[in-house]
Amino acid sequence: MWRGLWTLVARAARGPRSPRPCTRQGSGVPVPGSGTTIFALSSGHGRCGIAVIRTSGPASGHALRSLTAPRDLPPARSACLRLLSHPRSGEPLDRALVLWFPGPQSFTGEDCAEFHVHGGPAVVSGVLQALGSVPGLRPAEAGEFTRRAFAHGKLSLTEVEGLADLIHAETEAQRRQALRQLDGELGHLCHGWAGTLTQALAHVEAYIDFGEDDNLEEGVLEQANSEVRELQLALGAHLRDARRGQRLRSGAHVVVAGPPNAGKSSLVNLLSRKPVSIVSPEPGTTRDVLETPVDLAGFPALLSDTAGLREGAGPVEQEGVRRARERLEQADLILAVLDASDLASPSSRNFLDTVVAPAGAGSPNGNSQRLLLVLNKSDLLPPGGPDPSPNLRPHLLLSCLTGEGLDGLLEALRKELAEVCGDPSTGPPLLTRARHQHHLQGCLDALGHYTQTKDLALAAEALRLARGHLARITGGGGTEEILDIIFRDFCVGK
Amino acid sequence: MFSLRNCGLWVAASLTKKRLTLARFSGDSAAPLATKFDVIVIGGGHAGTEAAAAAARCGSRTLLLTHRVDTIGQMSCNPSFGGIGKGHLMREVDALDGLCSRICDQSGVHYKVLNRRKGPAVWGLRAQIDRKLYKQNMQKEILNTPLLTVQEGAVEDLILTEPEPEYTGKCRVSGVVLADGSTVHAESVVLTTGTFLRGVIVIGLEMHPAGRLGDQPSIGLAHTLEKLGFVVGRLKTGTPPRIAKESINFSILNKQTPDNPSIPFSFISETVWIKPEDQLPCYLTHTNPKVDEIVLENLHLNSHIKETTRGPRYCPSIESKVLRFPNRLHQVWLEPEGMDSDLIYPQGLSVTLPAELQEKMITCIKGLEKAKMIQPGYGVQYDYLDPRQITPSLETHLVQRLFFAGQINGTTGYEEAAAQGVIAGINASLRVKRKPPFVVSRTEGYIGVLIDDLTTLGTNEPYRMFTSRAEFRLSLRPDNADSRLTFRGYKEVGCVSQQRYERASWMKSSLEEGISVLKSIEFSSSKWKKLIPEASISIGKSLPLRALDVLKYEEVDMKLLATAVPAPLKKYITCRELAERLKIEDWGC
Repeated sequence: MWRGLWTLVARAARGPRSPRPCTRQGSGVPVPGSGTTIFALSSGHGRCGIAVIRTSGPASGHALRSLTAPRDLPPARSACLRLLSHPRSGEPLDRALVLWFPGPQSFTGEDCAEFHVHGGPAVVSGVLQALGSVPGLRPAEAGEFTRRAFAHGKLSLTEVEGLADLIHAETEAQRRQALRQLDGELGHLCHGWAGTLTQALAHVEAYIDFGEDDNLEEGVLEQANSEVRELQLALGAHLRDARRGQRLRSGAHVVVAGPPNAGKSSLVNLLSRKPVSIVSPEPGTTRDVLETPVDLAGFPALLSDTAGLREGAGPVEQEGVRRARERLEQADLILAVLDASDLASPSSRNFLDTVVAPAGAGSPNGNSQRLLLVLNKSDLLPPGGPDPSPNLRPHLLLSCLTGEGLDGLLEALRKELAEVCGDPSTGPPLLTRARHQHHLQGCLDALGHYTQTKDLALAAEALRLARGHLARITGGGGTEEILDIIFRDFCVGK
Repeated sequence: MFSLRNCGLWVAASLTKKRLTLARFSGDSAAPLATKFDVIVIGGGHAGTEAAAAAARCGSRTLLLTHRVDTIGQMSCNPSFGGIGKGHLMREVDALDGLCSRICDQSGVHYKVLNRRKGPAVWGLRAQIDRKLYKQNMQKEILNTPLLTVQEGAVEDLILTEPEPEYTGKCRVSGVVLADGSTVHAESVVLTTGTFLRGVIVIGLEMHPAGRLGDQPSIGLAHTLEKLGFVVGRLKTGTPPRIAKESINFSILNKQTPDNPSIPFSFISETVWIKPEDQLPCYLTHTNPKVDEIVLENLHLNSHIKETTRGPRYCPSIESKVLRFPNRLHQVWLEPEGMDSDLIYPQGLSVTLPAELQEKMITCIKGLEKAKMIQPGYGVQYDYLDPRQITPSLETHLVQRLFFAGQINGTTGYEEAAAQGVIAGINASLRVKRKPPFVVSRTEGYIGVLIDDLTTLGTNEPYRMFTSRAEFRLSLRPDNADSRLTFRGYKEVGCVSQQRYERASWMKSSLEEGISVLKSIEFSSSKWKKLIPEASISIGKSLPLRALDVLKYEEVDMKLLATAVPAPLKKYITCRELAERLKIEDWGC
């Protein structure tokens, strides 16, 4: 399977080459939809102060001239106030700011125009209708502007992903990460790796194709081997970031757990600032897992309220307990909630032993689960009294009722989530999508095969496979790149 | 002293030779010359011979048109065939019952498999070939091929008619016009004209228009092609000087001996024609700073290097090696040109300096201090047609039933030419029969890689095959070319002889039988360890191991297995090829 896919990638990447003596015979891959000009409302729908309508394609200039008076193009990339009118009826539509971006220095790489009109629905629909009446223009499909930018090489794949994330970013940290990715940082990192890998592969290929016929310099293979080893270290280190970038993009899983009636649902409602869960003094009120997305100190989180953990309740509650335990295993961060006034009860002690203690000790695979221990109902403790549990691990006192201790909890959450999601403003760019991690892991696995294989053709295959994985993130990966390096680095010939 | 007038023997010969008019050579010489054939092949080089023979094997009445019958099968450059990637192509040509592998098994003087230590997917079958023998054997083969007529003549023009509406193309070729004005009609025409299109030979500052076939015809045909709208590019290549054998001091050079036993190129050759001990050695020497100096001091006398005509990224000439990789010692292989030849071919010393300077350069190389240069090296510049103008069956998009094969498509090398020749010949024949084209995909063979690269990407340097070009290198091995192509050639096309088909079928059933036997033999790991102590089998696995599992250990081969378990396995090591293929192929679980 990978071979077929890889060929597709490789062939797509072989694309147009350096200047040729011969003219192309239409064999190049056409840019999708090029030739037509598209338009769309780029700002959000609904009544607003200003709405932005964009066009992209060869007829953009014509469209701009058709709608504006005076009918000459404004200077490139500077805003001009123009009267917009319908090209057929001549009916005035709006007085608007227009911008003219001649390609290739535009977002899509094509000729683009922008109309900044007043945001009333009638104005927007009037201008859209007017654009639709210009010959050669059609409404854009979803994502088509970005797709054209990608097709014209204005954005790389990771940058496109960053752009999509930036548009969807809801928290501060998400925005920072998306902006870094849009700036190409993740792409640059992967390009660096791909460059090293391509170089190593080219040297192995040269050794295979020319090692016996032409005299390659000594140590060609040794150099490739050491490059591969360095790459293994770099990839391994980066993958140890685990899923931080992804968590930041899609939200960390924060699971609130504890014995029945410890106040878990109250805490969830407090943190999400809305009544997500029903709260009652009766133990076992929450039976299913309830999820709510929240912004916790700038980080996106998916907060799960779970059933109180206890044995021997009815079948429905037991199912709830089973689901709670399942959710606990997937948690990026556990908020363990206990009743501060009830620490000695069997259910509290059991919870401390089975959930809290193992999380602190770390799991066998080395990924110790993060856990914050919260002692709720501090309002029930005697005021100014001693710490109720001097032998417990570090914990926070909180009263969901009075809100006392909430600031401390939020600060602790911020620190934990910064660890779980990574700080997007410092350090190396993070892997924001599962597919990044998948392909980097695939690359690393293949490099492992390379170092273990004696048959050089098989070893080279492992490197090819590794390069194919990286190419899924960076693009490229064709044979011509390899041959370019071989002929640059080695004196081989007839 | 050398001048262009008397340098290249064949250059002079082709210019002065009186053109024979319509002399005919045919297996059936009594028959009168037909004026209509199914397929006409123009050119008798490596692409032309394969194309003509393949078309005839497919059952088409075929005419091979060449300037001179005595140059059919001429190796105009290096005296060797095969190598890494190129050897792969030869096995595939052979799997389709092509000629060059069998002829090489009858004409080699030094057989050696390259890359023996790098895994069977990249083994490179290679041999030094006796030029004279190769030409003789090829001519014997061509002149005795049923349905194939050979005729001397220069093609001046193509006869074009209305296109068939169900195909693309603005016209259809229906025959050729010869230099004497006569016409020959055909259903398909294959053009394999090598470097003849506006060929120019360069030594030093002297340039002389000279395709191998002379000027007149090439201009006419080149003109026709250009008028039709074909896009033309220009390439250059070169060849080294030839040195008198007895003037070389071999005793101080590294000697390379051939393999023992010799591995034949063809699936149907049991052995090669010559014993290893009778084969000739090659010798290795190196350039030195003195060579660099001569090259660099005389660049102004070297128009081939100065010209902007696009050269390849790799370094075919000693000038480009010195310019791009200075201060290094470059290899020079001294290769025999044949059993009774007095010439040595210094591989790696392709050069276009003026002849006196070439001789001066040669004599500063170790072992060549007293070397006598018999013929200077020279450069060739020629036109090629952008191969994106042809389909994967090698038919042109513009002109129906016109096929291009070989150097005309921008490739370099005998093997690349032969591979295209077979495919063009087969498809020219299929086209006549209105059958669908025979296309080899990238997943099926190096032939597919070659043609797909050419027809989709084009090329701006002489295209040469490397194994790094093949995405499916692990499965496109020299050992299994028959299983990839012979059955297709037999069933879909009919270009494969009964004998070859039976051989391939026998191999296929023997492999299948061998595998089932290997799967049926089961012992505990400790027993295997006792039987084959050389193997790094880890003892203590509870499950029994099959012989097939043991064969997967790198250090175990069929010979070891057959010694351990002789009764059922002995018969599988009587055939070297069978034993090797059982070991190499991935038989799954």
